[in-house]
Amino acid sequence: MLRQPLSRALALSSPARVAPLAARRYADAVPAQPEKVEVFIDDQPVHVLPGTTVLQAAAQVGVEIPRFCYHERLAVAGNCRMCLVEVEKSPKPVAACAMPVMKGMRVKTNSDLTRKAREGVMEFLLVNHPLDCPICDQGGECDLQDQSMAFGSDRSRFTDIHFSGKRAVEDKDVGPLIKTIMTRCIHCTRCIRFASEVAGVDDFGTTGRGTEMQVGTYVEKMFLSELSGNIIDLCPVGALTSKPYSFAARPWETRRIDSVDVLDPLGSNIVVATRTNEVLRILPRTNEEINEEWLSDKSRFACDGLKRQRLVTPMLKDSRGNLAPVEWEDAVVAAARALRDCPPDKLLAVAGGLADAEALVALKDLLNRLGSEHVCTEHYFPTQGAGTDLRSSYLLNTKIANVEDADFVLLIGTNTRFEAPLLNARIRKAFIHKETDVALVGPKVDLTYEYTHVGDSASIVKDFASGTSSHEVMKRLQQAKRPVVILGADQLKSEEGPALLAYTQELAHKLQENLQDKEWKVLNVLQRTASQVAALDIGYQPGVGQALAAGPKVVYLLGADSGVVTRESLPEDVTIIYQGHHGDVGASIADIVLPGAAYTEKRATYVNAEGRAQQTLVAVSPPGKAREDWKIIRALSEVLGAGLPYDTLDEVRDRLSQVSPALVAYGDVQPNNYFAQARALAQSLQKPVSGKLDVQLKQLEDFFMTDAISRASPTMAKCVQAVLKQKNSPY
Amino acid sequence: MLQAIRSVARSSLSRSLPSLSSCSSRFASGDPSSRKEAPIIDNETLLAVHEGSTSANTIAVPAKVDISPITGVPEEHVKTRRVRIYQPPKNAMQSGTHNIHHWEMEFDTRQRWENPLMGWTSTGDPLSNMKIEFSSPEEAIEHCEKNGWIWYLDVPKTQKNEKPKNYGANFHWNRRTRVSTK
Amino acid sequence: MAGALARVIRGTKTNLGIVGPLANINNVPVRFQQTQAPPTKSKYGPLADQDRIFTNLYGRHDWRLKGAMARGDWYLTKEILLKGTDWIVNEMKTSGLRGRGGAGFPTGMKWSFMNKPSDGRPKYLVVNADEGEPGTCKDREIMRHDPHKLVEGCLIAGKAMGAQAAYIYIRGEFYNEASNLQVAIAEAYQAGLIGKNACGSGYDFDVFVHRGAGAYICGEETALIESIEGKQGKPRLKPPFPADVGLFGCPTTVNNVETIAVAPTICRRGGKWFASFGRARNSGTKLFNISGHVNTPCTVEEEMSIPLKELIERHAGGVCGGWDNLLAIIPGGSSTPLIPKDVCSTVLMDFDGLVAAQTSLGTAAIIVMDKSTDIVKAIARLIMFYKHESCGQCTPCREGVSWMNKIMYRFVEGNASPKEIDMLWEISKQIEGHTICALGDGAAWPVQGLIRHFRPELERRMQVWACTHGPSMAEKLY
Repeated sequence: MLRQPLSRALALSSPARVAPLAARRYADAVPAQPEKVEVFIDDQPVHVLPGTTVLQAAAQVGVEIPRFCYHERLAVAGNCRMCLVEVEKSPKPVAACAMPVMKGMRVKTNSDLTRKAREGVMEFLLVNHPLDCPICDQGGECDLQDQSMAFGSDRSRFTDIHFSGKRAVEDKDVGPLIKTIMTRCIHCTRCIRFASEVAGVDDFGTTGRGTEMQVGTYVEKMFLSELSGNIIDLCPVGALTSKPYSFAARPWETRRIDSVDVLDPLGSNIVVATRTNEVLRILPRTNEEINEEWLSDKSRFACDGLKRQRLVTPMLKDSRGNLAPVEWEDAVVAAARALRDCPPDKLLAVAGGLADAEALVALKDLLNRLGSEHVCTEHYFPTQGAGTDLRSSYLLNTKIANVEDADFVLLIGTNTRFEAPLLNARIRKAFIHKETDVALVGPKVDLTYEYTHVGDSASIVKDFASGTSSHEVMKRLQQAKRPVVILGADQLKSEEGPALLAYTQELAHKLQENLQDKEWKVLNVLQRTASQVAALDIGYQPGVGQALAAGPKVVYLLGADSGVVTRESLPEDVTIIYQGHHGDVGASIADIVLPGAAYTEKRATYVNAEGRAQQTLVAVSPPGKAREDWKIIRALSEVLGAGLPYDTLDEVRDRLSQVSPALVAYGDVQPNNYFAQARALAQSLQKPVSGKLDVQLKQLEDFFMTDAISRASPTMAKCVQAVLKQKNSPY
Repeated sequence: MLQAIRSVARSSLSRSLPSLSSCSSRFASGDPSSRKEAPIIDNETLLAVHEGSTSANTIAVPAKVDISPITGVPEEHVKTRRVRIYQPPKNAMQSGTHNIHHWEMEFDTRQRWENPLMGWTSTGDPLSNMKIEFSSPEEAIEHCEKNGWIWYLDVPKTQKNEKPKNYGANFHWNRRTRVSTK
Repeated sequence: MAGALARVIRGTKTNLGIVGPLANINNVPVRFQQTQAPPTKSKYGPLADQDRIFTNLYGRHDWRLKGAMARGDWYLTKEILLKGTDWIVNEMKTSGLRGRGGAGFPTGMKWSFMNKPSDGRPKYLVVNADEGEPGTCKDREIMRHDPHKLVEGCLIAGKAMGAQAAYIYIRGEFYNEASNLQVAIAEAYQAGLIGKNACGSGYDFDVFVHRGAGAYICGEETALIESIEGKQGKPRLKPPFPADVGLFGCPTTVNNVETIAVAPTICRRGGKWFASFGRARNSGTKLFNISGHVNTPCTVEEEMSIPLKELIERHAGGVCGGWDNLLAIIPGGSSTPLIPKDVCSTVLMDFDGLVAAQTSLGTAAIIVMDKSTDIVKAIARLIMFYKHESCGQCTPCREGVSWMNKIMYRFVEGNASPKEIDMLWEISKQIEGHTICALGDGAAWPVQGLIRHFRPELERRMQVWACTHGPSMAEKLY
């Protein structure tokens, strides 16, 4: 059970690693921190920075002040008045969420005045709030419920509801994801602030005044954002609830399993809520270094795709050419026979975007044992120059969290809004809070913030790299103290890809050389899928082009569903083995189907675009006869007589750590270097480029269905329809 | 004694090192929580410790408490289960943080199904509903080691640098924090 | 509504040199007096004609530049400007002028907050001409008949705080006033009195008029700022105070029209002259609006601290049917608590005198109600006004005022339980002091005044209703 060689283990526990690099903040732009002031919360002294709010100061000593409108990631509104606290020498209670502390301030969070104020506010919130908790989806996880228990009055005196009833507000239709029951709204305006600050879609607002004030979009329209689901989380009451999850379960019925999302390359942390053997919903889990506490709509709502189009049994093509269910034994034997009979150089394995690192390493080991080196990923990456040998060439080296400290962001051929929504949210955060400016080379798209559009020609990157550009962005880049260059991996597919990468590396290196902060990384390559980084780490060849051209006899698809492998591109007599969890593009052309497990059904390693290894946990068991992917390959190897040397998950992970320790350093990112070497190796590739950069996901409707799971999801299909319908609406 | 085993394991022998440690700054490398994997102690290590202690004229009391033989937990559930020690995440739907300041342990999920009689959820896993709360990861680790379970530690990345909130920023004269909608 | 709703406390404690912190005594905000100087006069009013500031209040003379100059406006304005910021602010401090919008914050001190070293942001003066408080009609008279006083005041106030421009936010309903004011501004620009090198003093100053759209809440200073910025008129929290983050995020002072309009005269005749009227800390002359059940409703300039009874008898021709027919008076615009007849007989019309009577001077809009008034209905109608004008931003005001409105209209009928009177009192207390702006306070106070002085009337109605209809449903529910 030796997990790692001694030297490596020692290196990992060396003191240099004590300071977590991923959490490293670039705070040096801020001048020396001002002196802290002492304030007293319930007579406990606490030292805080000047300007800190009373609520934040209280949080530092563990006193939680009730709130509805305040949210730490949104602007202060101060309108719910629930956070009123008594401050000594102030005749009236003050709103803790907006009141900055003053030296020597004495705050009483549990005095009679404070409690009376809270009770009063709570009573007012409940005057017009319907008593429909039994049929409300928020029931059981409702801030209003909890806080009225804690701070509310013990009896009702709403005599007037018997004379004139409560306020009723018409529900709004804001799309297929969010269900609105506006009567329940307490006007905290969190959704409004989220939409305008984080999502960058200024659609929500209030209309009317007084009791007639309503939160809505004024004219009925869909909330056109890729982050819309987060307002469900933000809503402290049941006014905004999840439409797909409506009336499905109560929070106390579900089991929550912490896991990792794989539908975009960022690996957002999620909580999978399950009941019986069914994934009911997915919620974000706070990870300050990746997704903060947001989640993109695809990651959140595509989970119903896990129940549809699933491969639940092994299948073989029968004599009439139809796939027919068979037992595992038959399928594995058939697959083994095909693999064994195939000459090694005619054997090809292609890994798709949702494959986990364990399956990837097992498949590669298997093919290597059979004598083949043809293990590819679906997405191409230039292999010239340093190729995939240097990890820094294909990672998001700046790291997601550090992007918000950047002072200039250059996007090359990527629409971060849809390729990595939460990275885009970070850029937007920097744009708003740090005055970061953004420039884009590529097609003009809506990134939710203003940016300088430099053009869509690849030659612009060449001019930037050579320093011959006279564009103002060039000057901004050179002046920037912490510039970030993000290159979309999709651009590397084309003929000019290697040159584009070389120029980007050249540009990033030139910028980096002039920086005062030597730790700051400039170069970023944004991958499109969750598996790509792990596959490249393990040693997969990027892209299938050459391998297909060689005319393979047996193709082993490991969840390869993006359609780059087609029957037409293969010889007539090819045998296709598909292993995966959804009956999508790959399975439809397969001769042998081996059902695998989706990301909620296996404990598996995924490496995100930053190079951060994370593991998913088993939330539910795979449906039917489906099995964990690495186990299928292990079984296949046994039948082939080329048994792989691992029987348990731990042993597979030992193998992974042999390949690269970064693959099992869960939660952390290893620092990347060798930028100079990568650039030196790529210098010969700097050939003239003339093409136009284009991105695949341009509009919101392109965003929802990009992989086997989201294509199987009815909710995502509804989203696409709704967005297209909204496009035709005059509003 | 347990400490002794750990120190020996760490300094001299190759086994059972914090292989997958991620060492966030909250847990300096000195404390056990910086390790993310259970130490797997082989016989050599144990023997080495015993020899060392006998040679130093003291009475050696074997202090590695392993209660798994007497707990009655079937061997299968000791050997094949992995314990995850973690801090429960904040429910994204709510803003309160009262119930997330402790550490918990849970076992890997095994199959569950809907009971055809009542529609309730059934499982064949006796440990699936065992959730124990600890005030610190050290306690959880000690508990797991006492029971012979293999554990790993999941340290949540929830540290953030506190930035003072400013209501005035909503109306700032030249920054983008200025709000337009309400 | 003007600053009747402006916050009384602003700035830190140190800023409140003259007036101490606000404290709740007998359920009414009372200012502690830190030093009690002996009054120098014992009789206040009537005001002599030569001491009137607003000499064209009734529009009998020419309101345009020529007429205004004939009445002494724009006289030696350049010299005043050249005396400099400190002199003007000092003169205002000497005069003891307190804000005329309702909160009564010392104007000189307010202006002095603006004289912090510049951080690159421009400064603005905002004049609150959104006079929406029911019963109040003083600013309207100024803008209609004496607009040059306001324009000149803007210039002097602007100079005192180093402002680049003044924005006059005028109530949307004041069409004629806005056009007169606009004419006056145009005249002043043409005469070189404002604009570049205003009055030849080397000081550049612009005046803009912004018309509101009919929301009472836009008379609250921060809501007014929001409204000028083009957003919904919803008040901001304080801190930050407008002197720090105000209009367009820049330091701003918001003053009532009357406050600004008296400033030139104070500068010309001296702060000491102004301070010679009224009691200490309540000095000056003031426009009083007398409406309701009086024989000759009017707006009149009078000395501060004039007894209420004398004011009504002398200028408004007395209460209809004689003083004995008086039921109650709302002394300072609709948001102040009413006072019954016995209090009215003795109370002095100034800030401290009315605070001692558990009410407030507000905008000095005196609403007189004789015994023919349905006092409960009158207050209920006021609450309906506040319910309609609540902006809906913060919870206590949005939900509480409409709840009070429902209860009040049941009280009008009597379809309620006497126990609910205490409940209503508590609800008003839950609103008061818990809201972002003072509209909540302004809505709570009339109810509190009603309950304080007319509880027997409320109980009587409930009895009458119970006699004819049987016990109210509320009796069972509550």
